[in-house]
Amino acid sequence: MKHQILELSNKLVKEALKKGFQEAAVKIYTGRSVMLKIANSEISIVQHWNINSVGIYLTKNEKIIVIESEPSRIEDVVKILENTTLIADKIAKSEIYQPLPEPSKVEPLEDLVDRKIIELMDSPEAIAERILEVAHREKIDSIAGMIRLSYGGKSLVTSKDVELFEEKTSIDGYIRCFSDSGSGQWGLGLTHYDVGKIEETTLTAARLALESKNPYPAEPGVYDVILSPMVVGNLLDVIGYMSSGYAVLMGMSIFMKNKPGDKVASEILSIKDTPREPMLPGATAFDDEGVPTRDKNIIEGGKLVTLLHNTKTAAKMGARTTGNAGWISPHPWNLEIQCGDYSLEEMISEIDRGILVTNNWYTRMQNYVEGIFSTITRDALFEIESGRIKGALKKLRLSDKLPRMLNNVTAIGREQYYIMWWEVETPVKVPYILVKSVRTSKHLI
Amino acid sequence: MFSENLMLDAIDYALSIGAQYVEVRSQKNSEFVTVSRNGVLIGTGESVIEGIGVRVIVDGALGFSATNKIDRENIMSAVKKAVGLAKASSRFMKKPIEFSPCKLARVQYSVVSKKAFENIDLSEKLELHSDLWKTAGQVIKEVKIPVLFVLYKESVEEKVVVNSDGAYVRSITPRISILYNVVASHPTKGTVQRTQQYGASGGYEWIGEWKLHETFKDEVEKLEEILVKAVEPPREPVDVIVGSELVGLIVHESCGHPSEADRILGREAAQAGKSFIKPGMIGEKIGNEYATVIDDPTIPGSYGFYLCDDEGVPARPRYLYLNGVIHEHLHNRWTASLYSTESNGSARATSYSSEPIIRMANTYFKPGDYSFEELLSEIREGVYIKSYMEWNIDDERWSQRYVGLEAYYVRNGELVNLIRNPVLEITTKSFYSRIKGADKELRFYAGTCGKGEPMQGIPVWFGGPNVLLSSIKLGVAPT
Repeated sequence: MKHQILELSNKLVKEALKKGFQEAAVKIYTGRSVMLKIANSEISIVQHWNINSVGIYLTKNEKIIVIESEPSRIEDVVKILENTTLIADKIAKSEIYQPLPEPSKVEPLEDLVDRKIIELMDSPEAIAERILEVAHREKIDSIAGMIRLSYGGKSLVTSKDVELFEEKTSIDGYIRCFSDSGSGQWGLGLTHYDVGKIEETTLTAARLALESKNPYPAEPGVYDVILSPMVVGNLLDVIGYMSSGYAVLMGMSIFMKNKPGDKVASEILSIKDTPREPMLPGATAFDDEGVPTRDKNIIEGGKLVTLLHNTKTAAKMGARTTGNAGWISPHPWNLEIQCGDYSLEEMISEIDRGILVTNNWYTRMQNYVEGIFSTITRDALFEIESGRIKGALKKLRLSDKLPRMLNNVTAIGREQYYIMWWEVETPVKVPYILVKSVRTSKHLI
Repeated sequence: MFSENLMLDAIDYALSIGAQYVEVRSQKNSEFVTVSRNGVLIGTGESVIEGIGVRVIVDGALGFSATNKIDRENIMSAVKKAVGLAKASSRFMKKPIEFSPCKLARVQYSVVSKKAFENIDLSEKLELHSDLWKTAGQVIKEVKIPVLFVLYKESVEEKVVVNSDGAYVRSITPRISILYNVVASHPTKGTVQRTQQYGASGGYEWIGEWKLHETFKDEVEKLEEILVKAVEPPREPVDVIVGSELVGLIVHESCGHPSEADRILGREAAQAGKSFIKPGMIGEKIGNEYATVIDDPTIPGSYGFYLCDDEGVPARPRYLYLNGVIHEHLHNRWTASLYSTESNGSARATSYSSEPIIRMANTYFKPGDYSFEELLSEIREGVYIKSYMEWNIDDERWSQRYVGLEAYYVRNGELVNLIRNPVLEITTKSFYSRIKGADKELRFYAGTCGKGEPMQGIPVWFGGPNVLLSSIKLGVAPT
């Protein structure tokens, strides 16, 4: 795999330069994935992909063109290159142009490939069988979910003599269990197969389903709220996106008014981008500009340390690249919240009037700059009164401002969970978190 | 596009190794985008996504395999994979998957652009960006516009669908869209923000149809007014005119999604969730006589336009709610089989690498016979919500929240002043039961609807008239 895609990448870089572009970068991904979907305790579909994608970054006189393709023939990519030559002559210089960086030494990440995942891709139903068996050990009615196994390699070749290659496997998925009026959901995302974690994910979903039966209506108001790792992951996905220099430039970020050093969160909160965490599926040793990745705090002790940059947004904002390219838009690779010293039980015991939110979805912003948003709970939601769980609640919304919630974090769990699911696209490693005085709402009529 | 003979060979091969049903779709999605910030180009992008997807039923189980490595060997390998995976999972099937019999299409069609993209000079497309930025600068007085992000996109979708039941559908659909995000900022009053998307099938002629500059100018002016003048919404229950933009979203979320039969049957339970509509609820009351919602893929020029779905079933309008009653669901051939009915042609896939699933196309609330002025004149004290930003709905599509952006306090039939961030937080039944009337003006809005795993974002329109609701208690977004 490595030899072939590097050769093709080099060929395309040369082709681009021959056509008059001054710089070119070519990123090729080739890989296979298998996905099992489960619904009503049976397999609703098994999907398989065997796909090559080719991305090309081109510049000419500080004009930028990006090609994204899943071509059926490589000649088609060459044809697109020809078309873009004509476009390059007509467009204006890019506001964010910077030369592609010179090569730097990239320290490869070891142990990103798990042969077990590659083996299981030929018989994924074995995983489904295990999940169904484990879930139905509990007295649930039905189970739904998804498990995906992936294996692929990416290459990056640039006209600045960068030539890099990396292989990786991953397993990600989520399980949702239903029991009468209760439901529970949990997710996971790892680079390595871990049957224990799959079982734990399944059992967590099943137990939450059982514990959340017979919910009673919730009263909207201001609560101290424990966010489960699923919810933390979802909100962190939003905050991770907002920490991109590009999101700030485009008016889609609460950090638009901030500079590094500003207090943006509670002093006990530290948020890190961790591309070098080999257990999380976003792990990578190099970014799309060939810059070596490094783990870095975005927020440390409540203070904004850095936005995430490629060379372009960094230059525009007077910073240095953080190894998070995206040719146009930098982005987080993996996100982590540093653990604290609380157990979940200790957190609950500190709450006089509060709720425990185990899952949420549909997070939407009224205003990205102010961070005004709401998200609605789903699955198990619990009322906490006088330091103990009182019972299961029906749905509520968290309807608040992200900056206020970041500042109101008062306790962080000591155990971290590897989470990915439909509403957590960036892999995360996060604990439970307690946020004081969160506004909630529900339908008024 | 690929050899149709090869696609037919793939069907024969799948049948020969045990498939009872085979569907082969070749699909090419080409896009060209330009992106700017504050009128200055950031970059341009081209995208070509092309390949082949094979879906099979083997012993009652469904398998799908996709590849863009297009030669006989790889396609047959994809077929073998789909059959093998389906076969291996068939032993878990309690209720084998079957497709309902129905009349399938053998047809080819194209959406014809009045102004084809290739006939418009690139400089004209780029001027859209700089002109919008100039417009923003001309209309503001007290506020600043720190950011105007604009994304222009033109695309062409080419598809061939063949299946072992005899369908053959070849289609070409060009589409155009513009998306912008504009932030207005005031030194003491904070910021307001508007994101907006336009989209349609067809060509560059839509830029003129949308009167982009006029509407954008109005929106920026209004952002300034909202920042400077808007006050808190009333706290007591009032009559509310829900503007057509929001009505469109509401019917998409609270009628279209819960009417997807795959969702009702639990197939999306771990992703987008289930539905408050359960099997057997056809004919149950959901609202009053004004509550009629239609989903129609066949509207010419619509963003969600198609004439045949990706299972080869001819498209037609679907009356999801009719006069306040749950009337019809969105079906593919699998759900139709379980409901003992015929598919109404709702299966779509966004790319060659996606399985066809049940999707809305263009969903709208049936217009009434009022004029907007007549609706206003019905109000002694109330609110008119013209546009929105934030929204969400629960995973059974019952409890929903919409936060207004441009919204007015209404007294004695007159728009009196702007109000800030009014919140309509309401159940589906309350919305459809409190309708006092709708005006005659049917307007559509573009969106990208998300569903499936992996996520499939698909172009849709949603729309309606302005709708008057009685006695609504509004909330207000946090400050």
